[in-house]
Amino acid sequence: MSLERLRFAWWSRLLPSGDGHGRLLATVLGAAVFAYIAWKIAQSPDQAVQFAFNGLSVGAVYALLAMGFTIVYSTVWFFDLYYGAAAAIGAYGVFYLRSQDGFGGQDYTNPYVTAMLAAVTAGVVAWALYETFFHRLRPRYGRRVLYAAGGLLAVGAGAYMGLVLSITDSTNVILSPAIGVLVALAAGWAIYRGSRLALPTFNAVPLLILAAIVGIALGGYCGFLIADTPGSKLYLSWGVSCLMAGIVGVGFYRGLYVYMREQARSPLIMLVATLGILLAITAATSIIFESNPRPLPEAFGSAPWTILGSNIKGFNIFAVGVALAGFVFLLFLLRMTSFGKAVRAIGDDEEVSKVVGINTTVIIAIVFFIGAIYAAMAGLLSGHDTAIQPRMGLLLLLKGWIASVVGGIGNLYGAIVGGFALGMVEQFGIWDLAGEWKDVISFMVLILFLSFWPKGLLPRE
Amino acid sequence: MQIDTTAIVDMLRLAQSPREFLRFAKGNLELWANLLIIGWAVVFMVWQGTGFAISVGTVFAIWAILAVSLNLVVGFTGLLSVGHVGFFGLGAYTVAILTSDAAYEQLRTEAIPTFGLPFFAALPVAILFAGLVAVAVGIVFNRFRDDIFVLVSFGFAIIAFNVFLNLRSVTRGAFGIHEIARPEIGTWVFDGELEFLALVVAFLGLVVLISWFIVTSSFGRVLTAIREDEQATEVFGYQVTHFKLAIWVISAMMAGLAGGLFASWTTFIDPNSFILLESMLLVCIVILGGLATIWGSLLGAIVFVLLEEGMRFIPFLPAEYVGQARQVVLGILLVILMLFRPQGLVGRYKL
Amino acid sequence: MSTSRPDKIDLDEIFVLRTKEVSKRFGAVKAVDQLSISIFREWITCIVGPNGSGKSSLINLLSGILPLDEGVVVIDGVGLRVLKAHEAPGHGITRTFQEVRLFDQISVWDNIMVTLTERRFLPALFERTSPQHKEKTQSILQSVGMWEKKDAMAMDLSYGQRKLLEIGRAMAMDVSIYLFDEPFAGLFPQMLERVKSILKDMREQGNTIIFVSHNMDIVRELSDHLFVLDSGALLAVGEVDEVLSRPNVIDAYLGT
Repeated sequence: MSLERLRFAWWSRLLPSGDGHGRLLATVLGAAVFAYIAWKIAQSPDQAVQFAFNGLSVGAVYALLAMGFTIVYSTVWFFDLYYGAAAAIGAYGVFYLRSQDGFGGQDYTNPYVTAMLAAVTAGVVAWALYETFFHRLRPRYGRRVLYAAGGLLAVGAGAYMGLVLSITDSTNVILSPAIGVLVALAAGWAIYRGSRLALPTFNAVPLLILAAIVGIALGGYCGFLIADTPGSKLYLSWGVSCLMAGIVGVGFYRGLYVYMREQARSPLIMLVATLGILLAITAATSIIFESNPRPLPEAFGSAPWTILGSNIKGFNIFAVGVALAGFVFLLFLLRMTSFGKAVRAIGDDEEVSKVVGINTTVIIAIVFFIGAIYAAMAGLLSGHDTAIQPRMGLLLLLKGWIASVVGGIGNLYGAIVGGFALGMVEQFGIWDLAGEWKDVISFMVLILFLSFWPKGLLPRE
Repeated sequence: MQIDTTAIVDMLRLAQSPREFLRFAKGNLELWANLLIIGWAVVFMVWQGTGFAISVGTVFAIWAILAVSLNLVVGFTGLLSVGHVGFFGLGAYTVAILTSDAAYEQLRTEAIPTFGLPFFAALPVAILFAGLVAVAVGIVFNRFRDDIFVLVSFGFAIIAFNVFLNLRSVTRGAFGIHEIARPEIGTWVFDGELEFLALVVAFLGLVVLISWFIVTSSFGRVLTAIREDEQATEVFGYQVTHFKLAIWVISAMMAGLAGGLFASWTTFIDPNSFILLESMLLVCIVILGGLATIWGSLLGAIVFVLLEEGMRFIPFLPAEYVGQARQVVLGILLVILMLFRPQGLVGRYKL
Repeated sequence: MSTSRPDKIDLDEIFVLRTKEVSKRFGAVKAVDQLSISIFREWITCIVGPNGSGKSSLINLLSGILPLDEGVVVIDGVGLRVLKAHEAPGHGITRTFQEVRLFDQISVWDNIMVTLTERRFLPALFERTSPQHKEKTQSILQSVGMWEKKDAMAMDLSYGQRKLLEIGRAMAMDVSIYLFDEPFAGLFPQMLERVKSILKDMREQGNTIIFVSHNMDIVRELSDHLFVLDSGALLAVGEVDEVLSRPNVIDAYLGT
């Protein structure tokens, strides 16, 4: 007992425990960084353009990661480290499907992996069908019929996925019916809705027939087109591997996180559990595909273009486009649709949302699906840009995490700004240092931001 | 507080009557975990002979030092640090640079300063250096908590790895450092496996003793209070930042010790021994064994080492994938534990 | 000061705790607005007010949990512009929380022990549990009636027991000023009596007690002095019955 002495503890103020002079220091640091960058740019503008291009292309990947990360985090409020595995799955999915096109023709398809993914697909599809249709259709058809039909559909979907994953040399042929059906449905729906909006008084039946005919024709055309174009295999593989990552994400959410969140005392439990998932998937990836780095096959636009005297690959411009499109899509989804409203409601208070009748499980599952797809997209873009290796997931995850902290966690604008800002800072940072220090730079940025601007550039409102 | 003497007494009493033992053991997961793991270890030892124990004992002891020291931070103070491997590496590199013999051929590729000091002179320096770095890092990290702390500790591990890899003028980068001295007292060199094992186990005993001393002192009780509610602890007059910094530094120094031993044991280190993954595996060990118990960390380290040895007997698993397979198993175990037993096998603290 | 004028009153002898124009803002909201109050030595002072009137913020300011935006706190004649949470016990202040904040995953025994041991980290490393600590803990646990539960985890206690334990933890601090944030909320009558008697005993032993409550019967029974806060400012001060019958106080309670 020495309470009186506490008053005179001279050393008690030596360590920073509050914010104190943080603001001033932060401003000085920020000004110094800007001055340095401005000075470098003034010194050699050509090189500055080159670094800016590099920053943009890296930033696009980070922005995608940060956006997916932020939408998941601001809905469920725990850090989902499966996200990193999703990025790796995205990249390795392409490798899995396309491995025998390049790389000396070694085929990496593996019946166990295929069977497992097919089973996960079947499970997720079954759950999705159950959640969407069961309660609506039960009065009309009864429980058994619905279970049988749903089970058949789910098994069919799983089998189809298994087919896609096992016969990889003709992905386009196998996927063409699915694409045809999707295009037919989308086109038919668009024509029907559009004409209903344009001609609200007109009889619906002829419009429906027209929509069906045009849809089927368009779908069939697209299907045949794709079946006839072997060059589309790579891009179809992108879609498949993104879908795979998303499905596995939903599988983990529905199969595991739901139960875990019911009893978890703290977000740390979830974090540690997802750390386990990440470890397991990373190790499994390196068992299946060997752990050394590998390239992905050449995508379009791999030859550099020269703009403003500096080189940028068309593929990188495409990546920036994907990031921007992803941003616009998420913005639309979150701001304009009832889904977005539900997501924000769950982010504010999950219990209340449940009480007011939002099906939180389904909404969160969709959020996980979208997040995993963004991660997978980022993973495969970065894989095409550099190389893939099983450990890439963790690093990409951390970069996305940093970008979303820098931008302001839980804010979509912050995520895209943070992603591009992190990419830029990283690339300008290695101007004078060697390239291998870029991870150090990003973590320094992170620690500075957390110390001085814990809310990030654009705080969540 | 931490070593559950009553349980041991109970066990001794119960050992005399099998029926009562069975009744007691039913549903007592901690007891089963202890029995299973120790039994597993004994079976392996008998099956493989004592040579086995000698060869894996050193690995076990080094991991156990790391796990015990990390448990002080994760289990007792509630800071989930994934950056412990950084301090491990710092200790290893300090010992490596201070003791490595300059006159070897590999140095031609890239020359670094070497000193050729004896091991026991370099080890305290390594420990102190890890501690100093921990002071600097701890002052910065003190304000973070929970998941943000996890993120910045990831950052520390990655920064440390990059420094080991890229600061070539000091660490020789990916070439690694060779010819690290074995410990010697006078003319007696700890050259054989058995002697080194004895040394490492002695250090493990020391670390366990110090940890036990810490967690049973008033300091240890304050740490657990900080883990539960930092602000309330502050209200009772404890300057939380100092306590957190102190345990962080102590833990880092223990990791530095482990690093020094590791460097001397392998006589060659390169950055690949200090990747982030090792740190995550270490967190697995600590959580698997049990949070906030020293014995738990030892158990976790046993499981970790035995898993790798056990994997070697899986028929169709190629030898180079043993480590990966163990990682898969550990990951799945972690998920299961978080689902059903968030304090780990014999833990006293639920995450 | 050997030559003090006999007619000058030393405020610090009468008031153990004074605040001078203390303010705290949260964004645009003024939680505490230029508040000046004085707390009599060895009295039980009650702070009442409608929800959001700044009672808890005031307690947080006085215990150092929140930093002061403006103003000075004078404790026992020592004026402070900055009061840090870990320094508050050194000035003789301790507190309980509105939502009970025990150290959940350690035992009841250790919950009390934490408040008794060495504060500086280096001596704390070498301090073992001493017989004095044990005696003190035992007496505290017995006085709040928790001795039987000493080995239970704090998280396994019932709400009333948690409340009692938290009060016991504050008592173990052995300071002179106790801030109790809603010590009576959510307790059933038997427990209420117990807490009341504990508070009275503490007053008898020469401690100053400040508590927040919504239960007017208890306020009438216990408090020697009453402050009514409304939107961060002082609405009324004085003797309990007189203050509670003032029309503006009644308005503030019934009007919101």
